[in-house]
Amino acid sequence: MTARNDTWIALHRLMLVTRELDRVIGAADGHWHPALGEEGVVAGCYHGLRSGDALVPHYRGMLAACYARGGDLARLLAGLDGRATSYSRGRYRSDVCGPIELGVIGLYSGALGPTLEYAAGAALAAKLDAKGGVAVAVFGDGTASRGNFHEAVNLAAVLRLPVVFVCQNNQFAISTSAQQEHGGRIVDRAAGFGIPGELVDGNDVVAVHDALQAAVARARRGEGPALIDALTYRVGGHMASDPGTYRSGEEVEKWKTRDPIALHERRLLAEGVLDAAGVTALRAAVAAEVAAAMKQAQSDPMPGPEVLGLDRVFAGGGNGGTSVPLFRGA
Amino acid sequence: MARLTMQQAVVEGIAEEMRRDSGVFIMGLDIGRFGGPLNSCKGLWEEFGAARVIDTPISEGGIVGAGVGAALMGKRPIVDIMFLEYLSLVLQQLGCDAGAMHYYSDGKARVPLVVRAKFGVGPYHGHAYDYHAWVAHLPGIKVAMPSNACDAKGMMKAAIRDDNPVLFLEHMGLYHGAREEIPQGDAVVPLGEAKLVREGREATVVAIGAMVRRAQLAAEALAKEGIEIDIVDLRCVVPLDKARILESVAKTGRMVVVSESMKFCGSGAEIAALVAEEGFRFLKAPIERVATPNVPIPFARNLEKMIIPDEIGIAAAVRRTMKD
Repeated sequence: MTARNDTWIALHRLMLVTRELDRVIGAADGHWHPALGEEGVVAGCYHGLRSGDALVPHYRGMLAACYARGGDLARLLAGLDGRATSYSRGRYRSDVCGPIELGVIGLYSGALGPTLEYAAGAALAAKLDAKGGVAVAVFGDGTASRGNFHEAVNLAAVLRLPVVFVCQNNQFAISTSAQQEHGGRIVDRAAGFGIPGELVDGNDVVAVHDALQAAVARARRGEGPALIDALTYRVGGHMASDPGTYRSGEEVEKWKTRDPIALHERRLLAEGVLDAAGVTALRAAVAAEVAAAMKQAQSDPMPGPEVLGLDRVFAGGGNGGTSVPLFRGA
Repeated sequence: MARLTMQQAVVEGIAEEMRRDSGVFIMGLDIGRFGGPLNSCKGLWEEFGAARVIDTPISEGGIVGAGVGAALMGKRPIVDIMFLEYLSLVLQQLGCDAGAMHYYSDGKARVPLVVRAKFGVGPYHGHAYDYHAWVAHLPGIKVAMPSNACDAKGMMKAAIRDDNPVLFLEHMGLYHGAREEIPQGDAVVPLGEAKLVREGREATVVAIGAMVRRAQLAAEALAKEGIEIDIVDLRCVVPLDKARILESVAKTGRMVVVSESMKFCGSGAEIAALVAEEGFRFLKAPIERVATPNVPIPFARNLEKMIIPDEIGIAAAVRRTMKD
């Protein structure tokens, strides 16, 4: 097999994992944020980075990003309801925040936008080290309206930081449509910052992967940041329980015909990368892997009081006060 | 020994740490050739160059966020946001996120970040409000506020070496004031250790930043009346040296808390609550608070002077604890 074929299969596999996670988690949790229809952007961005690179994922696709970085799927899933076996042992939610030990900078609060600045900072650290490291930051079109986007991209442009910003443009911020969100195209903003911008078909996983890898290679060479606008569509709801009353069923159906997994599967078959049996076997393997991980996660224990760690708020210990037992009580 | 102002002492502390550790760098607005507002970075660009003394656009949230990201990757950034009123622009990054990262990551993430800001009513008009209480309330961030040049240098060195985010506050009323003998060499002042700067038996005055000097002036006036007081210079609001405060109150039985920040939900309230909870049995009189009232700081000099705690108000509060 050629390297290209390996990459294409890996991309397909990651898309399948992303969709299977949506199916399994969404069935159990109405608050889950599915990436249904957006798997091309998720897999295209998160496959193929180096271990030293900083990955700053969008929350929609976070688990797939962590899995792509070598995260243990059962531990990631255990983090959905804060089980003791999860990476944070239950101190924080895994669906929006991946483990730093995998080189992932997640969302440490519910606010979108600051992670783009953290990506710029990770890129600044890489630039100071001068070893070719990069940062990749993925964000939604809703986040693109935040001032953080403008400050982060401008700072990266001014300092020529090795960072690639990717808009996972699913054309919705909860119920707010693209027309209500943006006065112009997100990709066109790149010119205003003086950096390259590229509009790619987010439902074509290979197009996303190739565009990202080209921008990453450019950043590694010290040629500065780039912006990729990966246009896709949020076929699923904002949350699994979203009734979707704010858009037409026709629009959703139209985008379903451009399903990124179906499109890539056709390509794999047409190019002879996989045969029908291979495609089926891959789907079955992914489903089995996710099912086993979910089963494991759901049987794992919840954290005990030892995880609370009231004196572990600060690195080096302590909770902000240095009291002495002498003065406790009467 | 060199005689330095607080501004010079802070810069010397930064320069020593930058020489010691190549992972230390500083970024901010106008800190390169310009030297930083009020010379906050004077000489650093000349010595360390533009790669480690980084001029940035006016993007306080962006540069504090970039500091967080670089710190997560193992650097020790210092971010100069000029003035404390811009704290409102960085609370998400510094307050909500950076302070939580170590805990939320089960100890894996470390954010060795120093955010510098100037504040304080003094010779400069504008940018003066003391908003440190916003951050003191949030878990995971240290809040340092030196009262003199010596501490300023030693605390800055400690802040840079600390593995947690530190908000480092530099009072503009002290900045270009009295020069002090600064010990050479590695004189680190640990964060979280208050200092007893005057000893007496009758009452305890707890103060921080520019209020320490005013407490000392009040103490001189009170001494003429035969009243000798302890003055505890907190040096840090977080970590709070509870033991030092309680130790002093255990001796004197009276406490006055002085704060330039606003009284309502200010850090002085926390210190009063601490003593009420853990040291009530020592108290011979109600706790007094001397703080700025909850009003936007007025502009005219004479109006401004009326609301900031001064030595007269501090001495009067001590006397109130003494009557009966």
